[in-house]
Amino acid sequence: MINISCEDTVLIKKRSLKNAYFSFTFGPYSRVDQCYPGNFIHLKLSETQIYFRRAMSVAGVNKKKKEIEIIFKVMGRGTELLSRFKPTDHVNILGPLGNTFTPPRKSERAVIIAGGIGFPPLMFFAGELVRNGYDPERIEFFYGGRTAADILERSRIKKLGVNFHPVTDDGSLGHRGLVTRMVEEYIKSHPDEKLRLYGCGPEAMLKATDSLGLKYSLPGQLSLEAPMPCGVGICLGCVVPLKAGGQARVCADGPVFEIGEVAL
Amino acid sequence: MTPDLKVTLAGVEFKNPVMTASGCCGYGEELAKVFPLAKLGALVTKSITLAPRPGHPPPRTAETASGMLNAIGLANVGVDRFISDIMPFLNRQKTRLIVNVAGSRIQEYVEVCARLNDIEHIDMVELNISCPNVDEGGMEFGNDPVMTEKSIAEVKKVLRKPLIAKLSPNVTDIVAIARAAEQGGADVLSLINSVLGTAIDIETWRPRLTNNRGGLTGPAIKPIALAKVDAVYNKCSLPLIGIGGINDYRDAVEFFLCGARAVQVGTALFVYPDAPVRIVEGLKEYLKRKKIKSVNDIIGKVRKY
Repeated sequence: MINISCEDTVLIKKRSLKNAYFSFTFGPYSRVDQCYPGNFIHLKLSETQIYFRRAMSVAGVNKKKKEIEIIFKVMGRGTELLSRFKPTDHVNILGPLGNTFTPPRKSERAVIIAGGIGFPPLMFFAGELVRNGYDPERIEFFYGGRTAADILERSRIKKLGVNFHPVTDDGSLGHRGLVTRMVEEYIKSHPDEKLRLYGCGPEAMLKATDSLGLKYSLPGQLSLEAPMPCGVGICLGCVVPLKAGGQARVCADGPVFEIGEVAL
Repeated sequence: MTPDLKVTLAGVEFKNPVMTASGCCGYGEELAKVFPLAKLGALVTKSITLAPRPGHPPPRTAETASGMLNAIGLANVGVDRFISDIMPFLNRQKTRLIVNVAGSRIQEYVEVCARLNDIEHIDMVELNISCPNVDEGGMEFGNDPVMTEKSIAEVKKVLRKPLIAKLSPNVTDIVAIARAAEQGGADVLSLINSVLGTAIDIETWRPRLTNNRGGLTGPAIKPIALAKVDAVYNKCSLPLIGIGGINDYRDAVEFFLCGARAVQVGTALFVYPDAPVRIVEGLKEYLKRKKIKSVNDIIGKVRKY
């Protein structure tokens, strides 16, 4: 079945967030209806010398306006060039790619664990849960960063009505310490609740989240990041080892994996 | 009038001269989500070996200027699972099928080819005697004219399908290798495989590939590939398939002019997975604009100084 396309589109809105983070909105993009939380798009920086695409998780969609949003941090040459794009500049979107988060059951409480640049797909996920009638009071949104400047889109996340728990290394916002330590405190203080974990962030955070899930026998999912030439499963560049043996492609078999699945 | 894109290689007719390159399209299942594989001249599978191979640990790709390095290490499901799990899907595709075969011993090539013999849908076999990313086998066969001839001759003893020998650019004299392949009984030559290269992370002083080195592909190697096709064309009587950095129809036309009868598209698939379809369309427009009836009319027609 043909369900992936290469589509030219245009940057229509650019927001410079703090700390080298940017929010870009592209449109019109015909496949917004097929973009779900966890999915990513592979972005060709048209008219630049950058040959390969850059994988970006979907941070939001506006189905009515056919717009798609990504949030990225300047990390290298590609993202640096992308950050200099201006509204009306062209890109080509290959997508939508990858799998999606499994929503929590009605009886479960969603414990979202975002770290640094891992927050955009989780913000999209929380927003879609709320939009689909999931009680925002039953979503715990933990968000860790080094300092307050690393915790972005705070008002937007809070506006969803979720229980927002910022955590910083230096205590400049919210709790001080590691986000996964705060999550463990939360798990321990809610022994009677059915919790489901959702993590996206740096590798150490994913590893700690995976351990929490296994230690407390909690189901959940982790969204992984990997250097990804093709994004569609043909180059085999982004494989990760699985605990059960064998390998999985982050792009085509993920990026979302069950807790306990990947040998992190 | 619509220009004729049909080409014939070793008695097999292809609806157009644009194929996927081995190692860049898996077994076709993923590309089938992007375009109908029937639009391809042929699908060329990832290298199949006798036993399954996990490949090298990551990182096994690295972006470079106008290209990429890879050292995947011939990761594949092995011939048995290829036949049982993958062939049912491929049998449903209305496209020519070329299976690429790799091995670390001549006997391994022979055994894999023997198992492919009876699968009707497989039109040709391409022999990977030029992989730079495995310690044993691969490039070792393709680096030496004697080994090239011997490995191809042994395979030809059992294989009842036309054989393509895929040549390495990492040799002093590619014409000698091409002639040895012809001597051994190859029916078609494809060139080039990736160019040996590496890249280092200057912060960690580590190579950017766990294999320490890899194969360079993408636009960066197109001039090298073109020069190799040009060098081999007319130096042996076999038809040539050009490979190396082909991104669009213009690149493909350059290869035809240098003597390639067909082209394979590899790394470009990682950027535009529908690149072969775009190339076929572009080629049609080009021939129409030039008022040329058939793509065969431009093969080897470079006007040299």
